[in-house]
Amino acid sequence: MTTFDFLLQGLSVALDPMILMYALIGVTLGTAVGVLPGIGPALTVALLLPVTYGLDPAGSLIMFAGIYYGGMYGGSTTSILLNTPGESASIVTALEGNKMARAGRGGPALATAAIGSFIAGLGATLLLAFVAPTVVKLALVFGPRDYFALMVLAFVTVSSAFGESARKGLISLFVGLALALVGIDQLTGQARLSFGVPQLLDGIEVTTLAVAMFAVGEALFVAARRDTVDDEVIAVKRSVWMTARDWARSWKPWLRGTAIGFPIGAMPAGGADIATFLSYAAEKRMSMHPEEFGNGAIEGVAGPEAANNASAAGTLVPLLTLGLPTTATAAIMLAGFQQFGLQPGPLLFATNPQLVWGLIASLLIANLMLLVLNLPLIGLWVRLLTIPRPWLYAGILVFATLGTIGANPSPVELSMLLIFGVMGYAMRLYGYPIAPVVVGLILGPMAEQQLRRALSISQGDLWTLVGSPVSATLLGLSAIALIVPLILRARGKGAVLNQLASDED
Amino acid sequence: MNGTTPETRRPDGATLVAAAILAAIAIVIWRDAARLPQAGGYAGVGPADVPRWIAIGLGGLALWSLVEAFRSGKTGREPQNVGPILWIIGGLAAQLALLTTAGFSIATGLLFAATAHAFGKRNLVLTVPVGIVFALVVYLIFAGLLKLSLPAGPLEGLIWGLFRGTPA
Amino acid sequence: MKRTLFAGLIAAALAVPAHAENYTIIAPAAPGGGWDQTARTMQEALQGEGISDTVQVQNVPGAGGTVGLAQFVASAQGKADQLIVGGYVMVGAILTNASPVSLADVTPIARLTGEYEAIVVPAASDIQDIGQLVEMLKADPGAVSWAGGSAGGADHIAVGLIAKAAGVDPTKINYIAYSGGGEALAAILGSQVTAGISSLGEFKAQADAGTLRILAVSSDERIEGVDAPTLKEAGLDVSLQNWRMVAAAPGLTDEQKAAIGADIDAMVKSKTWQDALATKGWADTYLAGDEFQAQLEQDIAATDTVLRDIGLVK
Repeated sequence: MTTFDFLLQGLSVALDPMILMYALIGVTLGTAVGVLPGIGPALTVALLLPVTYGLDPAGSLIMFAGIYYGGMYGGSTTSILLNTPGESASIVTALEGNKMARAGRGGPALATAAIGSFIAGLGATLLLAFVAPTVVKLALVFGPRDYFALMVLAFVTVSSAFGESARKGLISLFVGLALALVGIDQLTGQARLSFGVPQLLDGIEVTTLAVAMFAVGEALFVAARRDTVDDEVIAVKRSVWMTARDWARSWKPWLRGTAIGFPIGAMPAGGADIATFLSYAAEKRMSMHPEEFGNGAIEGVAGPEAANNASAAGTLVPLLTLGLPTTATAAIMLAGFQQFGLQPGPLLFATNPQLVWGLIASLLIANLMLLVLNLPLIGLWVRLLTIPRPWLYAGILVFATLGTIGANPSPVELSMLLIFGVMGYAMRLYGYPIAPVVVGLILGPMAEQQLRRALSISQGDLWTLVGSPVSATLLGLSAIALIVPLILRARGKGAVLNQLASDED
Repeated sequence: MNGTTPETRRPDGATLVAAAILAAIAIVIWRDAARLPQAGGYAGVGPADVPRWIAIGLGGLALWSLVEAFRSGKTGREPQNVGPILWIIGGLAAQLALLTTAGFSIATGLLFAATAHAFGKRNLVLTVPVGIVFALVVYLIFAGLLKLSLPAGPLEGLIWGLFRGTPA
Repeated sequence: MKRTLFAGLIAAALAVPAHAENYTIIAPAAPGGGWDQTARTMQEALQGEGISDTVQVQNVPGAGGTVGLAQFVASAQGKADQLIVGGYVMVGAILTNASPVSLADVTPIARLTGEYEAIVVPAASDIQDIGQLVEMLKADPGAVSWAGGSAGGADHIAVGLIAKAAGVDPTKINYIAYSGGGEALAAILGSQVTAGISSLGEFKAQADAGTLRILAVSSDERIEGVDAPTLKEAGLDVSLQNWRMVAAAPGLTDEQKAAIGADIDAMVKSKTWQDALATKGWADTYLAGDEFQAQLEQDIAATDTVLRDIGLVK
């Protein structure tokens, strides 16, 4: 049978009414749990996996796929509406999405996220079905030096998201890098900046920092200004639905996000967060309306949300073809496969085609189900903003601490939530951007480890860093991205730069 | 984020404080790095090198902020209400302190009430019970159905006991 | 359907018969990992077989299990209903993190499962057997890069032991630590490193598909279904099992110890447990009582020596 036949067969299995019911339950549960701040897709899947134990393999698989995609999608809702991303991959969504929600455009923001997620999920799942073996070969070519070059490119391009003041953006980034040092050095096992506190040996959890700085920091900031700003709630101004202009501005970012997210998700050391950073940077550069970025540009929601979902499907490439779990979520999915006595790996496509194609078909169905469930719900979600603020923010803090307590019920972790929350408030107050702190915490250790691994393999030879075509190209691109704007600015030709940015599309 | 406009030529206090904090972090990192054995191995870059680079970066940013503080001068900011902030911080601290002894629901219920107070619902007689019931429902969903391990206290024990007929 | 499902869930959560010890098992790791899965499988087996009424699993992640261990030692003193899951990784972590508590502070009950280490090269590599790899290591230790799990973990220790057995200075090994088996495997498959080392299970599927070549395994005897010699056969006196165990609280009476031992023994012999081992692909390396105690002490002493040799413990 050809790939296509297998897929059709898988789809026919998945179209059974009972199976569709499981898909609906999975998507609903996944979204409901994934919506909570601090509970990302990995924890959602881990929590809900036992629910699937009692079902037959087909039902279990589809419910699982539903939970996975539901959990992925759920995170974007709270990011947009409440500015409280619960996981690293939806931080970028909060940047523009929440600005849109504050301007009364929460509906279109949620819609572009939902449709973008659907399109990216569809595209990436089809890519997974047809080109997985080729993609995985390319992904394996990436060695430590290539990853290091990719991190450098991410640092350089993401710095465009740092807001207006270069000094404040850099300070935020370096605070993130400094926080990233805390814990055991991966490569030598040495404890750094942990001051003898055992709970600090594992470093600072990204979700703890993100929830603290966004959710707690936001609550403090809003509470402190309560009397000075008018308390009117702007749930919806204009339509809940996307306008023709929104569509026109969204479809290209959706496709670009898919194109960025899928390959990066497929790389063993890639990850959804890097994909969203790069997508955001790309959209900002290519936008016809760069001035809207930071004030609620729809492209900044459409692109990263598509990239986020495409990279989730991309993660399945190494998992299904090599048996490599490259993210926490994938590692838990592996446990899901194992309940059927199934070891994902190079032989899986050959030995269990029904199950693999059943899963891929399930993902397609779950993806569609997610759209069907969420588009009508958008009207309801925006109503979340009409909950009176005392109850709304009290609820947010309950769920924010629930996520932290559930993952690691230690006083040290909760103290960090409190300290970083206050820090997030102080940074907001004095106009320091929050996102670069989290970016530094995520990218810093990756860049350091890959650099040291690359140098260790080459036994200290620095030339190794430009020794592969991939790394040389990526570093070259980074250098251009860094130097060209500097030269242009030095010559006082800012106008040329803007012109260039708008011509690039 | 908030409108910052130069008013006088006196140095900006907030930026000075930022410079001092950055310098302090840089010193802490540098001293911590000095303690590490410089086992670079084959890489030549050891566990202490990257911290040093970051410390240097932070030091540079501290100097930049110092210059900036004097150049831009003092800036005005919106007045902040300290009360609500203290209520929220107090709520989080109370939750932290009571979590293991009083259990999830009571500790989290207090956080709920303190946050609601900060946002203007000042009637604690109403908000504390509402918060505890809300937290208890959350507890039952997550600890009961989803098997998330959340700290249990007397209240959770009582509820489980009711379900089971024996105190847990 | 939804209702039946939820009804079932609620019933599963609340329905409880009466009698016997209600255990709390500390999994000193985040939900989803190996120790967490061990603890939850124990929970399933102990409850499912009616050995215990209710079993709760509590996650206390951090620092190779030492955070959970410290909390357990501090809070469980003399309590016969408290258990903790642990493993060989904890032995190394206690030493490298200079943990204030050690396995001597708890009451080890039994070793439950274990995995052996495998040394692999990509199929395209020139290296055909372990002898050839050892020759390269002797000629220039730096030129042989090893990809494996975290620094100071079982994989790193195994490389140190191999170097020592081959007469190479263990401080000279070029070990590239990765955060998990998956990332290390990608580096091996992509020929970024000379060789790879990790639990056999991580490599088995690749070896069966012919993309990796297993050079040797760290067991005492050859493993069925694996076409590779043991390290001992290859003339390297190294044998290492990455095991998982269960321990009870410190300060228990002999009767309490015996009762817990009997419960665990009943659990290990139960069908639920054995079926779970089969589906998860875990080897049954059950070892209890004084034999386990002796084995544990031997492992701790050997690990201490090799970590000092590698230079991870001063």
